[in-house]
Amino acid sequence: MKDNLEITNLEKKYADFTLKNINIKVSKGKIVGFIGQNGSGKTTTIKAILNLINYDQGSIKIFSKNNQKLTSLDKEQIGVLLDDSFFSPILNVKDINKLMKCFYHNWNEELYFDYLKKFKIPLNKTLKEFSGGMKRKIQVLCAICHEPKLLILDEPTNSLDPIFRYEILDIFTNFVRNKENSILITTHITSDLDLIADQLVFIDEGQIVLDISKDTLDKDYGLIKDTQKNIDLIDPSYYFKKLKYKNKTLLLINNVSKFNNKYPNFTIIKPSLEEIMLLLVKGE
Amino acid sequence: MIKGLILKDLYVFKSYKNNIYSVLIIDILVIFFASFKIEMITTGTIIFLISFGLNSISTFSYDENADSNKYLLSLPLTRKKIVQAKYIFAIINNLLSFMIGFMISFIIALYLKSDLSNIVNNINICLLAFTGTSLLICTDMPCIYKWGVEKGRIQATIIPVVMVFILAIILFVLFILFPNIYYLIKIDTILKFIPIICLIINILLYVISYFISLKIFLKKEI
Repeated sequence: MKDNLEITNLEKKYADFTLKNINIKVSKGKIVGFIGQNGSGKTTTIKAILNLINYDQGSIKIFSKNNQKLTSLDKEQIGVLLDDSFFSPILNVKDINKLMKCFYHNWNEELYFDYLKKFKIPLNKTLKEFSGGMKRKIQVLCAICHEPKLLILDEPTNSLDPIFRYEILDIFTNFVRNKENSILITTHITSDLDLIADQLVFIDEGQIVLDISKDTLDKDYGLIKDTQKNIDLIDPSYYFKKLKYKNKTLLLINNVSKFNNKYPNFTIIKPSLEEIMLLLVKGE
Repeated sequence: MIKGLILKDLYVFKSYKNNIYSVLIIDILVIFFASFKIEMITTGTIIFLISFGLNSISTFSYDENADSNKYLLSLPLTRKKIVQAKYIFAIINNLLSFMIGFMISFIIALYLKSDLSNIVNNINICLLAFTGTSLLICTDMPCIYKWGVEKGRIQATIIPVVMVFILAIILFVLFILFPNIYYLIKIDTILKFIPIICLIINILLYVISYFISLKIFLKKEI
């Protein structure tokens, strides 16, 4: 078994939205970033993975098993953080610990309380008394403290301050270090993925528009910001996407070396994931 | 796993324990004052049993506000276990309210030096109130699973009224068609069998309601 999660040709139709032909692989030891604007289908895909919704076509395999046939023991190997769903806000972290002990055989109470101490989270306050960031920290702990093999994280760094974001990203990087664990992570804070992701999957209007390894992206992709007049000189077969933005034209190159050979005088910069997403969604 | 789910609902109860104590005190007062006239003791008991027994339904609101079901289903829990836990919690809560309600009315009846027939009568009233509460719970829960707390409660209010209305029509038609039936029914005999009748009705209500809720929840997209 090479992949902890494998989604093949997933389709789900709603009256006003369709998820089409989604293919994602989350291999062992890898962090896969799932990027898209709001309403692009990220959460629907996560819901399908977690068997919260039925899908019309395709298959989802977790640890090589159909996701609809996972046993409780299989599910103990998965850690989940959902953006908009958690325990009732009237519980405190000690209550949550007792509940998690009931739900997971492997629940590591010691690790949980160590992290609570490290993150300076008060034990007797209820969730509703915490800030969004504090609550998110507790959600992260609930996802990792039963020592799962696969993490499915929906916007995990949302509402976190930069310092804690780095701490959390560090936890995620260490999590996959054993080459057995893996993470599927959705976020709109693309700079996080720049730091930790091995593979990036861009989704727009229910379809995957780009699935690429971070290494290939760094090696082959480039961005040109120039005037329309200069851009017009470039043969369209040498670039991937073009977008007029303010008084400049942005050009996304998907084969930098080929482009450089043909047009050595253009300045190519490394695109941010945000710029790539913008060009993939709005570019032509 | 079910233990964890029941514990989760108990924590919800714990969080509004002051409200529960207030309801408890008010209900005890109602029973107490009502019981100065011994025939009225039952009114207070019924009020207590229904208001206390239905408390378990409020845990659905807390789950819905935090959208907890989505998260719970990502844990090593099945939809079946989530529904089972809700029913177990509701039954335990209803049984507890029955026992507390009966004990309070029993103590007050003893204090008022009521005779044995009143106490026996009180047990029957408690059992009927328990069954009435069960009927409300058992119509509430499938409706909440189907439509959510807000809409579900409206439907759940209508359904028992419709059920009672249909039952009244059936009885009315029976009495019109067979006027002698009234003389055949012996109230004393029925009263003797109230415990067993209530037991059968409660088992049927919870079993039927559970399977309807489970069927709804298994198919529900969250």
